Order: sequence, then structure tokens, then C-alpha cells
Amino acid sequence: MIEKKVRCLQCGNIITSSGNPGEVILVTCPECGKKGKVTYKKEIQSDDVAIEAINLKKVYGDLIAVNSISFYVRKGEVFAFLGPNGAGKTTTVEMIESIRQPTEGTIKILGKDISRFFNEIKDKIGILPQEFFSFERFTVRETLLYYASLYKKNVDINEIISMMDLKDQENKLYMNLSGGLKQRVGVAIALVNDPEIIFLDEPSTGLDPKARREVWEVIADLRRKGKTIFLTTHYMEEAEYLADRIVIIHKGKIIAEGALEELINKYGDENILRIKDCKSKDIISKLKENDFETISEGNGDIAIKIKYKEQILEVLSFLKHECVDYSTIDIRRSNLEEIFLKLTGAKLREAS
Amino acid sequence: MNLKFIKTDLSLSVRSWLRSKGTVFWTILFPVLLILIFGAIFSGQGDIEYKLAVQNFDDTDLSTQFIEMLEESTFFNITTVDNDAEMAKYMQENDFIIGIQIPSDFGETIQEYFGDNTVSINITYYTDPTEQTTGPIAQSIISGMLNEYNNIITNSRNVVGMNHESILGEEFDFIDYFVPGMIGFTIMNSMVYGSIERNTKYRKDGILRKLLTMPVTRYDWIFSKMLFMMFLSFISTFVILIVGILVWGIGIQMNIFFFIIIIGTSFMFSGLGMLIGRFVKDQETADVAGGAITFPMMFLAGTFFPLDQMPDILQTIAQFLPLYYVNEALRNAVIYGDIDKTLFFMGFVIAFAIIFFSLGVIFTKWKED
Repeated sequence: MIEKKVRCLQCGNIITSSGNPGEVILVTCPECGKKGKVTYKKEIQSDDVAIEAINLKKVYGDLIAVNSISFYVRKGEVFAFLGPNGAGKTTTVEMIESIRQPTEGTIKILGKDISRFFNEIKDKIGILPQEFFSFERFTVRETLLYYASLYKKNVDINEIISMMDLKDQENKLYMNLSGGLKQRVGVAIALVNDPEIIFLDEPSTGLDPKARREVWEVIADLRRKGKTIFLTTHYMEEAEYLADRIVIIHKGKIIAEGALEELINKYGDENILRIKDCKSKDIISKLKENDFETISEGNGDIAIKIKYKEQILEVLSFLKHECVDYSTIDIRRSNLEEIFLKLTGAKLREAS
Repeated sequence: MNLKFIKTDLSLSVRSWLRSKGTVFWTILFPVLLILIFGAIFSGQGDIEYKLAVQNFDDTDLSTQFIEMLEESTFFNITTVDNDAEMAKYMQENDFIIGIQIPSDFGETIQEYFGDNTVSINITYYTDPTEQTTGPIAQSIISGMLNEYNNIITNSRNVVGMNHESILGEEFDFIDYFVPGMIGFTIMNSMVYGSIERNTKYRKDGILRKLLTMPVTRYDWIFSKMLFMMFLSFISTFVILIVGILVWGIGIQMNIFFFIIIIGTSFMFSGLGMLIGRFVKDQETADVAGGAITFPMMFLAGTFFPLDQMPDILQTIAQFLPLYYVNEALRNAVIYGDIDKTLFFMGFVIAFAIIFFSLGVIFTKWKED
């Protein structure tokens, strides 16, 4: 039996509930009567684990790049390793890929310790390294044939070309492709052995928004095909859009871990109502006097934490009553950027 | 060994090479252009002719015969110096760089030799010591002709000599000297810069990191790349030889040593390139480091000009340069046909190849720190 504390989505009341692993329990808030489901996850079984890192540490001189982190990746999920540049993402993924030697710790891929069995694992993984560029004067088809020739398994290159929508580019030289297409070829190379696990290290860095979207669609498609994807990124939108589970890493340490919903529920604030360009000078003090929890964001912008749905109407009525002039209002939930800010005191982009 | 990969790698590397006009230019066309240009400069004018001042104190037919021999060689435009003139002063006043003085007992000593084969006579060779190019070459030619003269007159006994000897083969033109040097130089550049590219650009582009996670060993990869590099070496070598033969009529003695030297040279300079690429990780800096090593070798290792023409200090330096041994081994193997010297220099080429390539393989890492 597991005991859990959950927050009522309507009134914000904290409710204590208990259940068994795998059960979904219906609970009712004693304060407002709102009903909701509480899920008790099954404990992870070793057969379900694609990657497991235990107390992983990497030290360069005085610098601890990765500080004794542990996490696992389930089979068939998109696992995002999110953090600013220099957080330790690439060092971690390169230790898992056996490119770097960990100072301490154990890494298992498909249940096998990579320090002993990495050669056996090579056939089962596909990798797109960070800032990867292939041979300039090979065509797309030649590039795929080249990397495919390294494996005993014979895969159909035509199938990969079609899957990655590279048919029109297959005879073009790699050097003549756009950044987005090069990344798509990079992902295609990672598929030449039909791997179970695909590592994509910052696959959309440096791409324009359209190309980034294209890469995201490719990754989403791979997930639909049942591949396990280990994605490192410093784009929270990428993690939000693609990931089943997210680990946030900062200064070599894991600071949060879970599905997007779990992270928001656990670390995020309530819904936030934002008033833009508010003209009234003493409005913040008046809001506080009326028990609204406010945050001044500068330049006349005000954020108000919404604890229950009706509070939105209460705020709007108050603003009307006080004849407050403003330009726009929006209401939204916390995102990963805000969670990162809350956990580290820095914005994700600023921390890079 | 992954033969499927090696075959694919070799075939795609050749295709990729052919698509790079710049690389094809530097590997094939540049050496061909140099051969044509240098050949035209030094061979197109016929044999080189030097102004030679001759002062003959001997009045026998034997000294006249020697002077005629010098004239017939086409190397020298001879000016006879009056016996009353002071030779050195005459040469200075009349802008002669080289001159010879035949002593008065020249003919008499040679005749005496047939009765007493212990006697000998020296001619005196005058040269302007500030002139580092013409003097040693002309001295070598005269020395060679004296040997021939001795052969004719005394059946190989050196009755007539000079104070200094030289090794320059008198029967060869400049282009015969130049072509093997060009082969060594071209292979050196292809191998050094090819290895630097593989160890710096491929590292920067993540290709080496990617290969590390794939089922290929570093040895399969290096072996495959060496096959390609040797293909390049032989292609450029044969193109240079064909141009040398067809355009300048050089005589080639093809033998097994030639192939061993080309293979050894390829391994030697690939290893050197690997070492540069290992310790200088940025590609631009590595290219500069490559240039800093190859450029001086181009001039100091007897690639384009005979080392005999260079000051002693440079000749000493040359003996520490790997390209010197390649050039000399190739010359002796395919041009001079001197097996002893070929084996001597080839031994150095093989030793350098083993040392550099082994160090290159040992120090080249795919793993990151």
C-alpha cells in the first residue's frame, strides 16, 4: 500500500490517499467535493528498463561535471534529459554511449553492464552525436550505405530513406543539404542497424523553427514505431512536446524527474493569471489586501496565482470594480521553464 | 576483419576524392604542373652550360685531349686563359665562377705512370666560394669526367685527380633528379594532410565519436584508410612517372624496391599526420603544424635540388629529415639503379615508417577524455 498526498485541482486543498501499485483510486475533495483519479504506478521491472545509470559521476580535475546521478529509461519511451548548456547532459549521454569513461558509477543498457558488454550492445543502439556532420562528399544514399556496412544486419536502406522522407535528397551530396536535412540524415544514420535504443544528443540545436518541427515529427514517428529514445535537449518546448518522461539536470545534478504532468503537479505553481501593462500604480497592494497572491513582474505586468477556478472571475470583477486599465490578460499553467526557474533560481536560457 | 566495411569505405573514399577538385589538383595536377614547369626550365634548354676558364701549362696532347673531352661534354663553354695571367685574378676580373689549371707536368706524369704506376698528378679546380650552386655542380661534373679520362688513358687507375670528389651522377639530367623528389614530396603532402583531416575534422564533426559506438575496430578503420591512402600514393606516383617518361624521357628502372619504398613512405607520413592530429586538435592549427613540418622538408631534404649544392650545415640537417631518405631511396631505386644505396636508404624509410606509424596508431584515440 502506498500513501500519496495530492492537491485538489479545484480548491487547492491537500488530500491524503492510499492505494496499491497499478491501482487507480477515485478520491473526493472533502473541502469542495471535486472528484479526481489518483494513479499508483507499478514499480519498474528490470525487463522494462532500457537504460539504467547508477551513481554516475564524471570529474575533470577540480570540476565535477556529473555528480553521482541515478536514473532509468523505460523501453519504448522518449526520455528527455533537459538542462542548460554545461549542465552535464552530453557528458552523461557520452558516458552511456561509452565515448567517455565514467569516474564512478555503473551503466546498464538492456540489462548489460556497458563496461563489460558494450561490444554486444553496439548492434542494438543508434546514436546521433551532438553537432554531428557526416562525410561532405558522400551522397545521402552513400552515407547510409557506408554506415550500414559496419553492421552484420542487412537493413533496407530504401525503407530508411522513405521513412525519413529523404527520397528527393538521396542522390544529393551531404555538404549541399540544409541544416534540417543534415539532422534528418543524422537520425537516419542512427537507424541503419534498426536499433532498439536511439540516442539523440541535441538533435534540433541550431535549426530554424521549421526544421526543428520536422526533426520533432521524425522523433515522434520513431516513438510510434516503438523505439526507445534518449533525447538530450536544452529546449523545454522540445521536452514538453516529445518526452514521456523528463529528467532536469543542473550543474551535474538531477533536480527533477518525472512525466511532464507530474513535474508540473509537483513543482509547478497553480494556474497563473497575467495582467499586462497595468496602468494603476497601487493595484498590487489592493490585490494583496483582498487576499490575492500576486507577483509583480515589472513594467506594469502583474501575475496572480489562481488557486481555484472561481478565483479567475473574482480577479476580473475586482479589476472592473477598481476601474483598472490594462492591455491584455492571459491564464496558463506552469511550464518547464518556470519549474526550472523555481528549482534553480535561473531561467533555462540564462543558465546556458 | 570487416571486409564489407573495408570494401565500402575504399570505394566511397575514392568516389569522394574524385568529387573534390581541390584534392585531385593537389594530389595529381599540382605535381604534374611542377614537373612540366621545372622540366621546361631545366631540361627544355638542353644541358646546363657553365663558363669554364682553363689555364693549361702542359704542352702535350694528353692535356689537349682532356680539354677536348670537357668541350665535347656540352656542359662547358671553355675560355683559354693565357699562361702569363694570374688565374684567380683573371677569373675575378672576367666574372668566371669556375676554372681549372692544368700543371706543366700533366702529360709527363701520365707517360711516367706507364713505367711507375705509383705516380699521380692533380689538376687545380678554382671556384668562387661565395657561389654555392654552380661551383659544386661543375666540380662534380669535372670530377666525373676525370674518372672517365682516367679510364680511357690508364684503364681505371686514378693517375689524374682533383682535391675534392663529388657523388653527383654526371650522366643524369635535372629532371631525373627532380621526378623522384616530386614523388616523395607529393606522397608526403597527401599522407600528412589526409591523416590530419581524419584526426581533426572527423573528430570535430563527431564522426570518430560515432564510429566508437559502432561495430568497427580502430584497426579496421585505420587499415581501410591506409588502403585508400596507398591507392592515392600509387595513383599520383604513376601519373608523375608517366609524365616524366612521356614528356621528358626519363629512364625508369621499375623494381620491387620502388613498391616497398612507396608503401613505406605512405605509412611513414600517415603516422606523422596522425601524431600531429593527435596533439594539435584544432584543424586549422593542425594544418599549420603540418605545413611547419612538411614545408622545410620540401627544401631541405633534397627534393628539388641536389643537396651537394647546399651548404654543409643544410646537408647535415637533411640527414635528420625522413623525406631525405625517401628521395634518395627512390632515386637510387628507379633512376640510378644502385641497389646498395637503395637498400641503405630504404632501410631508413622502413624504420621511420614503423616508428611513426606505430606511434600514430598508439596515440590516436577515438575516446574522449
